[in-house]
Amino acid sequence: MKWSSELEIGIPVVDSQHKRIVEYINQLDVARREHSDREVKVVLDELVDYTLSHFAFEESLMEEAGYPFVNAHKKVHQLFERRVAEFQRRSEAGEDIAKDLLHVLTTWLINHIKGDDQDYSGVVKANLNRATQNMKARKGSWFNRLFG
Amino acid sequence: MKVLWTSDYEIGIGVIDHQHHRIVDYINQIYDHEGAGSSRDATEDVLYKLLDYTYSHLAFEEALMEEAGYRDLAFHRQAHEAFTRQVNDLRQRFDDGEAVASELAEMLQGWLLRHIATEDAGYCEVVKRKLLEQNPRHYENWVEKSVPQYFN
Repeated sequence: MKWSSELEIGIPVVDSQHKRIVEYINQLDVARREHSDREVKVVLDELVDYTLSHFAFEESLMEEAGYPFVNAHKKVHQLFERRVAEFQRRSEAGEDIAKDLLHVLTTWLINHIKGDDQDYSGVVKANLNRATQNMKARKGSWFNRLFG
Repeated sequence: MKVLWTSDYEIGIGVIDHQHHRIVDYINQIYDHEGAGSSRDATEDVLYKLLDYTYSHLAFEEALMEEAGYRDLAFHRQAHEAFTRQVNDLRQRFDDGEAVASELAEMLQGWLLRHIATEDAGYCEVVKRKLLEQNPRHYENWVEKSVPQYFN
């Protein structure tokens, strides 16, 4: 899966997290091709951890910005978490799930970025810009480097 | 037959309209692939995106109804479950090698357009009133209109 600017939603910190998820997906593909079950499990666990943190981060951005559909987005995140947990369960039971899982992850990430995330990005960006202005006035520019 | 998206299909909640529109785009892509005699892999790719997004959409809608305290939520959930079962049956047949992509697209199309015209119109007002707590007109372009307030 190749990262392209089409997948950017315009919030650098979120874009870099999505990019990291793409890297994990590609690592998983390499592990699958090399038939390394152990590596598949390691990457899968890391990917799940990272994705859960990413969801929590996104949800907090939405909450902070007063985005009214934050709970509905949380439900969609939970639905995905349940699907991935089911893959983890099957993987632990010894099933070869890597190919199916890759398909689901790639499909889901594209839908998530191009559909769901576009909707909240305007409100969150505006809120971050406002916060950045406030922080810059008080603390110099570290906040801007992180979120700008 | 391809669906031409028009404003008649909009229920007035931007995020939901966007999701419906995206589902329609995927349905049209399936018809395109079937018409052009594309490879099974190409059709499968779009089909999986379509199904993944449809399931997300149903979860999103149910969450909105729940939050808004919509009284027909239980009925909607049952309808969504029955629909999901039907879709899964067809998906299984597709996975088994049957040429049912168009059939699946048609079923989704029929369901989506009925769903927009009847069911969604019912919960839409409740969501606008209770969840967004504003006159519905404020939310015609919710994001665009709300941006200036965050700059002040």
